[in-house]
Amino acid sequence: MSDVSVVSKGGNAATAAAHAGGAPGQERRRVFWRRGGKATAVTLFYAVLIAACIFFLFPVAWMGGTSLKTIDEVSQAQLSLFPETPQWSNYTKQLGERNFYRAYGNSIYTVLVVLLGTVSSLTVVAFAFSRLQWPGRNVVFALMLGTLMLPAQATLVPQYVLFYELGWLRTFNPITLPGFFAGGASLVFLLRQFMLTLPRELDESAAIDGANPLQMLWLIILPLSRPAIATVTVFLFVGQWNNLVQPLLYLQKAELFTMPIYVAQKNNLQESPIPWHDIMTASVLFVIPVLVIFILTQRYFTEGIALTGSKG
Amino acid sequence: MDPAVVARLHNFYWSLGTVAFIVVGSYLVGRLAQGVAGARGAGVLQRRRVFWGYALVSPWLIGFVIFVVGPALLSLYYSFTDYKLGRSIEWIGLENYKTLLGGLGAQGRRFMQAMYNSFYYALVGVPLQIGTALAMAVMVAQPLRGMPFFRLVFYMPVILAGGPAILLAWRYMLASNGGFINVSLQRFAELIPPFGWLYRSFIFAVESFNAFFIGVTRSDPVGPLMYVLPALLGVLVCAALAFGSAEATRRQVARTVVEVLGAILVVVLGVRAITGGSFVPHVLERLGTFTDLLTQRTSVREAGSLDYLRTGFAEHAASPLWLLGLLVAACALVGYTRLGDGGRKWLFGGVGLLFGLLALGSTVDGVRYFQAFDAASAAAGTANHHFSLFRQVVAQFPDANRVPLWLSSELWSKPSLVLITMWSSGAGMLIFLAALKGVPRSMYEAASVDGATGWQKFFRITLPMISPAMFYNVVIGLIAALQTFESVYIIQNTQTEQSLASAAYFLFVRTFRQLEIGQGAAASWILAVLIVLLTVAQFRYSRWVHYE
Repeated sequence: MSDVSVVSKGGNAATAAAHAGGAPGQERRRVFWRRGGKATAVTLFYAVLIAACIFFLFPVAWMGGTSLKTIDEVSQAQLSLFPETPQWSNYTKQLGERNFYRAYGNSIYTVLVVLLGTVSSLTVVAFAFSRLQWPGRNVVFALMLGTLMLPAQATLVPQYVLFYELGWLRTFNPITLPGFFAGGASLVFLLRQFMLTLPRELDESAAIDGANPLQMLWLIILPLSRPAIATVTVFLFVGQWNNLVQPLLYLQKAELFTMPIYVAQKNNLQESPIPWHDIMTASVLFVIPVLVIFILTQRYFTEGIALTGSKG
Repeated sequence: MDPAVVARLHNFYWSLGTVAFIVVGSYLVGRLAQGVAGARGAGVLQRRRVFWGYALVSPWLIGFVIFVVGPALLSLYYSFTDYKLGRSIEWIGLENYKTLLGGLGAQGRRFMQAMYNSFYYALVGVPLQIGTALAMAVMVAQPLRGMPFFRLVFYMPVILAGGPAILLAWRYMLASNGGFINVSLQRFAELIPPFGWLYRSFIFAVESFNAFFIGVTRSDPVGPLMYVLPALLGVLVCAALAFGSAEATRRQVARTVVEVLGAILVVVLGVRAITGGSFVPHVLERLGTFTDLLTQRTSVREAGSLDYLRTGFAEHAASPLWLLGLLVAACALVGYTRLGDGGRKWLFGGVGLLFGLLALGSTVDGVRYFQAFDAASAAAGTANHHFSLFRQVVAQFPDANRVPLWLSSELWSKPSLVLITMWSSGAGMLIFLAALKGVPRSMYEAASVDGATGWQKFFRITLPMISPAMFYNVVIGLIAALQTFESVYIIQNTQTEQSLASAAYFLFVRTFRQLEIGQGAAASWILAVLIVLLTVAQFRYSRWVHYE
């Protein structure tokens, strides 16, 4: 509970307490309408918060509820969140589909390869930008920051032509291989910022012991950079798991579909009534890994956004 | 073996190959850099540094050449050709840009419509999104129990909104006939009559606004009304410059006005040059007079024919462009010279008054203009298609049975998308939260001692202090609005596709569905230039936002 000690140092009480999350220390709590100490105001405030929560959580709940309904229930006018009797068989049916298995496997495979390739190359590049001194470093770094300005659209078209000429349409290569080249200047930037905060003496003592830069990275910087690397990894994971555009452009074959396209194309079936229970079952299974990872690693998200955003 | 497994193996081998390629490539780049350094007479230690630096940065450097520089240059080249995948390439000069920027032909019109839609997302979506984010951030920043939980819940939509699953859930919930949202709204409206009235007012407001917007995007002439919004903006700027207190801020605002108007002029003239328009806009030849401010277009009332109303207005109307010139001159005076306080107030009071007159006169004449359309159509014995959808919507207040046709009508497709972006505005919330942490507690305490109320503190302390975060969110939001893709792709259907398509969606369809690489590349460069302009504006003006 180091956050509490921040409060007692007389720092920013409001935000530190928000960070600590209901940590004890009643006497330090202050609300800006506090004068007169209105309990009703606080109650009202919580009511607004809970209403907002319902707004934000409802679509997810709706997805879950629908996935357990029957086809008759989903084709009626909708007013109830939950089915009369949960149809767990929707899930067994979904899990028995061959293309679903393939899509899930493809998603897991591509995400793993992208994470491995991107995170390792990002770390090496960020290390070169932060811990090594070499002539021309600032120029190359400025060049990299410049790519942040260039929108993805400017290169999307010729990249497609490039992969077309290479014969890589209908393979996973266009999705996974670009990652190996330290894809994402903003993530390099985030990692570099973190590595800059590590003390200089570490490198010097390693250099005296005769370590080369790669050993320095592996033995000293990498273990210390774990939190930042974790942040980058969760960002990449969520982005890649949800990635619809690249797979949509390049995979073009049902056996190669990753989960985002598998789910999206379920919607295009010209069926009537639309089998929403079926679509939502696949959606729930698709969303579960992201939700679990998000809840387990949420502090990396908040810290990472603060790191990139406050520089604006 | 299963084809998916075969593809994974294939990719696995390629991945190993890529790693080998990068390792060897990095080593070679490092050696090359070392050689160059050695030729320049660097010492042993320095050469070693050069080798490691360039070798370790090479994964990015090689990727930069293969995936960014090369493609960017190629796409620039394609944009001047009629390249279609699998066919030979022919150089056609500026043809693609002319089609797209000039809105010529079916594709040009679609592109213009997509730009209008993106503009809608920026104009309506971004403020709503930022308002939601700010409200959430301020609530979560309160030192009360359970805030991390609420922060978690508010942020969660962001990680889901990028994927198709939750967008499909929204699509289902928003189904106009029997969808959850409409059914429950309807039920509420029946149970609580005041809510029903509110609900129908909401339908009326959204439908009229969107019908008007659709009228504009179909390039129905709006006549004198087109001056109303700029005139009101002019009034605002003048008021700020006349009564704004801080000298430094004032100078910055004035300079910004000069620069922004200059930039707009350059862009407009550039587009005119590309599309073959005249360099000197016609309006310059017909600068209005002072009396035109009150009766913007006296000729409107005289003109009876439909043709005149459709095209004649732009040809013959006097333009109040000189007023804009006056504003720029006044701003230049304030921005670049030392002007006395009294003189400045008179100057901007006067110019602001003129802008006010323009707004008033344009509104009055705008109404006349629309009446003239009706009269002329009646005289010609034809139906008046001018803003027909808008007038149809405005003509009658929705009755009790009306429901919002969320995803099935062009009147509601864009509001649906805006609703979904509001739902996922948590990223902005986190940025506001980080900024709120940076506001020194002592400022609030000092304000409390002076007897400031909560709202005063919010508007006088919090808002100015977090203005950099605000600006960051605005720019990021604008860029995201231009690049909206996934949500459009998932929630569109054949009736709403055109009314939803963003610039990025147009680009996708043109390039990857119809394989018109040349035109797609031109569209991507127009989009790229726009985004770069926005980003440059951010760097240029992010400093004065902070008021330090």
